[in-house]
Amino acid sequence: MDKRNQQIMTGNQAVARGFYEAGGLVAASYPGSPTVEILESAQQYPEVDAQFSTNEKVALETAIGASFAGVRALASMKHVGVNIAADPLMTFTQTPVRGGFVLVSGDDPGMHSSQNEQDNRNLAKFANMAVLVPGDSQEAKDYTKTALEISEKYAMPVMLQITSRICHSRCLVETSEREEAIQDEFPRNVPSYAMIPPNTFDKQYAMKERLEKLSSHNDAIRMNALKEEDGADTLIVTTGLTYYNFKEVEEKIKPVSILKLGMVYPLPEQWLKGLADKYKNVLVIEEMTPFIENELKLMGITCKGKEYFSFTGELQSEDILEGLREAGLTKEEFAVRSSDDKTEKHVTPRPPLFCPGCPHRPVFDILKKSKVMVNNDIGCYSMGLFPPFEAAHSLISMGATLGISTGMLKANRKAGRNTPLVSVIGDGTFFHSGMPGMVNLINTLHPEDNLTILLLDNGTTAMTGGQKNASTGKRLSEEEKHVDIPQLVKAMGIEDVQVLDQFRYKETSEVVKKAIKTPGLSVLVMSRPCALHFKIKEPVFQVDPDVCIACRTCIRTNCPPLRMKEYEGQEKLKSSIDPSMCVGCSICAQVCPVDAIKRPEGGKRNEND
Amino acid sequence: MKTINVMIAGIGGQGLVMTTEFICQAAFLEGYDIKSNDVIGLAQRGGRVWGSVRIGEKIQSPNIPEGEGDLLLGIEPMEALRWQESMKSEAKMVLNRHLVYPTNVQQEQEAYPQDEIQHMLESFDSLELDALMEARKCGNEKAANTLMVGCVSHFLPISEESWMEAIRRTYPEKVREVNEKAWKKGRDLAKEAEFI
Repeated sequence: MDKRNQQIMTGNQAVARGFYEAGGLVAASYPGSPTVEILESAQQYPEVDAQFSTNEKVALETAIGASFAGVRALASMKHVGVNIAADPLMTFTQTPVRGGFVLVSGDDPGMHSSQNEQDNRNLAKFANMAVLVPGDSQEAKDYTKTALEISEKYAMPVMLQITSRICHSRCLVETSEREEAIQDEFPRNVPSYAMIPPNTFDKQYAMKERLEKLSSHNDAIRMNALKEEDGADTLIVTTGLTYYNFKEVEEKIKPVSILKLGMVYPLPEQWLKGLADKYKNVLVIEEMTPFIENELKLMGITCKGKEYFSFTGELQSEDILEGLREAGLTKEEFAVRSSDDKTEKHVTPRPPLFCPGCPHRPVFDILKKSKVMVNNDIGCYSMGLFPPFEAAHSLISMGATLGISTGMLKANRKAGRNTPLVSVIGDGTFFHSGMPGMVNLINTLHPEDNLTILLLDNGTTAMTGGQKNASTGKRLSEEEKHVDIPQLVKAMGIEDVQVLDQFRYKETSEVVKKAIKTPGLSVLVMSRPCALHFKIKEPVFQVDPDVCIACRTCIRTNCPPLRMKEYEGQEKLKSSIDPSMCVGCSICAQVCPVDAIKRPEGGKRNEND
Repeated sequence: MKTINVMIAGIGGQGLVMTTEFICQAAFLEGYDIKSNDVIGLAQRGGRVWGSVRIGEKIQSPNIPEGEGDLLLGIEPMEALRWQESMKSEAKMVLNRHLVYPTNVQQEQEAYPQDEIQHMLESFDSLELDALMEARKCGNEKAANTLMVGCVSHFLPISEESWMEAIRRTYPEKVREVNEKAWKKGRDLAKEAEFI
């Protein structure tokens, strides 16, 4: 490789680079871990239009429009985002794709930052799409380009399935120049692009045919890497990062042949059958569902896989070795797990928590003290579920809280119960998919139903790194375009809409508690911006140990700078504040029952990040 | 050359991702193959974060196999403790003496594992220092990680020239000088402590 053309890239950066090199013009996304940085990296190329959308459905539709218009398009999202986008996807896939279309699905085996572990290869098959699975950043770049080529050649959308590890891992990537790939303008071709029956009838056959064509073509084979070992009676079939993890333990196993699949759907049936015939055993090593294993079995190839390798979580080198050991494939000296294998000692866990000065902190402190039933939603405020707050009772998916509370209220009413409910939702999630649930409320709620909605309007999509959303503008300047959430909610026909400053703790607490006690629907908009994203820093606070009664009310707000500590001359442990972390939000001072926490005269802001 | 495995452990907000990139750049400039990984959790700040860098002739997986770690950078001591089982018995470690208390400790349900950390420091060839304070003396405490990289640079076959170029490639211009200073300070501190 020519070193001058090599760069260190993460998988995410490499996907963006591949899209750029392939002449990609329009990239759209909704921020979700692990794929956030794909779009952020694409934004660094002026040739590419890369913007976050309100949700994944809008992002996918944006990419569809671009592809219709004859340019190469990319939509990136986390695995569960594809569920949101599934409606347009399932119909778009029926059309003959014009500009190359790649859907990047960021799957999360082991659930580092996700609410489920769905294996989107299954979803791609359902949508009659090809699926490419890269194993490092170089492949992430190369496969993005291949995906766009295949998409145009076979007129189908293509999924690039990447995992958290691929997204965030780095390796050397060889770069090349960009090549433009613009086609003619969108033609008038209603039977192909307006999906209404009878136009859809032929499309069922077209989808089937294009997959068959691809599976029988060399394109389905050329991305595979096959290394055959003389005399080996076992063929290992694997893909993606699992292949590289396998390579780490290869020297500990008996000689086997290895097939690394680049494209996992559709598979080249004839070629694979011919290959498998040469072996006594075929063993599939893949993360999550037995996707490849099942595909092989459908072809009539006898193989094993999930019998030895977990259906959930990541497959690290150690897990792979363990599975191979069970399958009897390890060399004699490794056939028994060595007894000195270390067992992990307990180390205190470190769960994620709200930042110092986070505006969500007083909200969950109040909810905890209110002992009320809370349906939570997805964002930083999901962490209100964790100790010491434990102030929420359910969490399912983006925007689900309002529908779930609606159903719970209906059920309670029919069951003769009258439990007050609280729904918590942030601004980004409200725009993403919470709004329909809110509109739905006006005709479904009974006057006796008691629902309080806390709309946490912190002005950014915070959890994924502070991306701009429709509420951000008003935090920036008067002229900046934005959607005013209180006005929007009022326009939905909801009467009791109040805007609160949650850093006025007592007042907020009173309003929340009153709303919980009062039947009917209240929407309380919490207006404090994200302290991290907007870099809000006020002069720091300090505990007077002579006044502190060691009640720990402040400690229970879980603010990181707070801690009980020993003071000279004090018998008991007293509260303290680490001035290098405090951002002066004042919540600890406000919850203190004896006024022991004050801003010292001449107190300064801390200048740390 | 045998592959060298570097583990970095800390918490969200401590700049680990940039530090793994910095080490990757230096090793790349020296002509090695590299793979690295950063594992970041749910929160923007405060949750556990770890990174791995593997340096060698040809690297397969970015993940360090169990018990194969050569160098450990503990940006937060308790997070380093979590990885001691992943290290070789002859591994070297440098620990930042800046404790950040997790929720359980703050809520007084568990003690911060001081004794275990002390035991780990004694069982390995290690260096403990207040990297924040040392970096502050260099001009910016955000350069603490770079200072710690300077400490372990004695154990990496990478020239000073490549480290300096890696700083230029990784860090924005306004903090380049302080990172250069911090790296050199870390290298000197390790030498003074005979951690070489």
